Amino acid sequence: MSLPDLSDPGFLTITGAEKRYGASAVLGGVDLAVGSGEFVSLLGPSGCGKTTLLRIVAGLVAPDRGRVVLDGRDITRSPPHRRDVGVVFQNYALFPHLTVAENVAFGLKAKGHPKSEIPAAVARFLALVQMAPFADRRAQALSGGQQQRVAVARALAVRPKLLLLDEPFSALDRKLREAMQIDLKRLLRELGITALFVTHDQDEALTMSDRIAVMNRGAIEQLADPVTLYRRPATAFALGFVGLSSRLPGTVREEGDGMLRVETPLGTLRAPGRFRPGSPVLLGVRPERIRVSGDGPNTVEAALVEVAFQGARAHLFFAGPDGERTLMAETPEIPAGAAPGARLRLSWAVEDTLVFPAEPAPQREAA
Amino acid sequence: MTAPAAPVAGPVPARWPLLRPDPVALLALPAFAYLAAAYGWPLLVLLARSLSGPQGISLAPLAQFLSDPFSWRVIGNTVRTALLVTLVCLLAGYPAAVALARARGWGQALLLLSVILPLSVGVVVKAYAWQIVLRRDGIVSQALVGTGIWDAPQRLLFTETGLVIGAANVFLPFMILPIYAVIRLIDPRLPEAAATLGASPLRRFLTVTLPLTLPGIVSGVAFVFSLAVSMYVVPSLVIGDRYQTLATLTGRAFLFMRDEQLGSTTAVILLAVAVAVVVGSTALARRLGGGGHA
Repeated sequence: MSLPDLSDPGFLTITGAEKRYGASAVLGGVDLAVGSGEFVSLLGPSGCGKTTLLRIVAGLVAPDRGRVVLDGRDITRSPPHRRDVGVVFQNYALFPHLTVAENVAFGLKAKGHPKSEIPAAVARFLALVQMAPFADRRAQALSGGQQQRVAVARALAVRPKLLLLDEPFSALDRKLREAMQIDLKRLLRELGITALFVTHDQDEALTMSDRIAVMNRGAIEQLADPVTLYRRPATAFALGFVGLSSRLPGTVREEGDGMLRVETPLGTLRAPGRFRPGSPVLLGVRPERIRVSGDGPNTVEAALVEVAFQGARAHLFFAGPDGERTLMAETPEIPAGAAPGARLRLSWAVEDTLVFPAEPAPQREAA
Repeated sequence: MTAPAAPVAGPVPARWPLLRPDPVALLALPAFAYLAAAYGWPLLVLLARSLSGPQGISLAPLAQFLSDPFSWRVIGNTVRTALLVTLVCLLAGYPAAVALARARGWGQALLLLSVILPLSVGVVVKAYAWQIVLRRDGIVSQALVGTGIWDAPQRLLFTETGLVIGAANVFLPFMILPIYAVIRLIDPRLPEAAATLGASPLRRFLTVTLPLTLPGIVSGVAFVFSLAVSMYVVPSLVIGDRYQTLATLTGRAFLFMRDEQLGSTTAVILLAVAVAVVVGSTALARRLGGGGHA
């Protein structure tokens, strides 16, 4: 994972952004700094405030409090047409009364580019997104993927300092989406565009981002690069929202030297961490860290409930003593003797056991 | 984009298309039959009468009517007031339609009610009300004197200005409602996208909102113009006999002068003017907007 040059981590700086609609707070004082050329995702469930934050940066929503500084200029009170911030909307928002080329030319005309230069610029950006043959089509006559690429070309043609993307892939089918994610990421890297990307799709965020801000209930719970976010989620919410995991509620019995003994429905397990004895906690394990068979400090015996073969790997679901699905393991092959009903021994390393303070109400079940 | 819904070709081509009608066309049949009997047929009779001279079919009555300068003054009155009424309705109605489309909840319900409710008040009642409002000692005159715009009270009643004011009031909903219906369908992301591309509010309006509302404007203009060009009650009550339009002249010809020849001729000219303006404005809008894509 090559990170972009972060010599200027405050190319876009959001400080204390707050927004309420009536009695409900949508954003409760969010801070975020994005470096020049960086691709940062805002990842969270619907209603977490990620789109509101994006609209505040675009100037389409005025924050109640807080500041937005872009490239050294405070744009908090600037109208959207004086911000140099491009937006690719979820439904693309192409102008239906204009052709593809006219859509791309729209911003160039609005910004007063010399008329003689516009056709060449339009042609160049349409070529960048492989849409040159469609220049004279009407926007509505295009497929979803084509519309999305025109929307990207239209937003980039005016050379914005910052590109905002609001779930631009959500209307596309999976295969197309994956291909376009890679295309878009490469295009933005080649052009050195700084981008803020809103998504509720964790795979999309992991694939595309330099850093990911996990948002929940109007706040950023963790801001980290994809590897750190996956391996060391900061909160139980981040664990549940990014990637698959097994989640076990438990109570701390002993703590010594940063090592815990936690009592769970599957027995006493060991985990690194500092909690007072008696604290309710949540243990998490990533599925690929669980070994089927074998012994270790954390070994449990559980009944196999279901095997889901996925081609390149298999997912095994296990039930705890209460019969609920509690553990999930990922293996490259379906292990021998892995028939539903079989009792298998599972083990994982102590350092692969993640510990979080117990949440009042879990946001998402273990998959 | 809005090509007429052609039936998908079935396996067996219909040999007698009239005997196997499109089920969608059947839905329009009652209205079509009613209009054909109650409107189309009398119209044909009227047209025939306007073209029938003593020696059979001839254009003589028409030519005779058009050779009279009085006729041209009547046609001028008709077209001028209709255009003025349409213009006033467009200028007042467009912002109202925008406000109506942007309002939410109770505000929108109240606005909508205030547009639709006046339609339930009869035109005669409204015209009488305007008689009172436009009098020399009426509320408009008093207000204009009170604010210092006028030096002395004047009457607007029996003037063309008064007619335009009164008629615009009657026909305003027919401008607001079609424009409102179209604005409501415009994706609010489109002006937002235009803003993020650097377009100022004025530019957003001129290059995005206005072209996209053009179909609504055309409907509104067509409605109001065809209503205003043929209005009869409002001019009769607000301006009186001294001022003739094609519609009032048609009425007088049939009701008082018993001159069916003249009445048919003026009625046909009126119809031709209305159709020409409506068809012309639709064609113009289609060219400006580059095709129907509402």
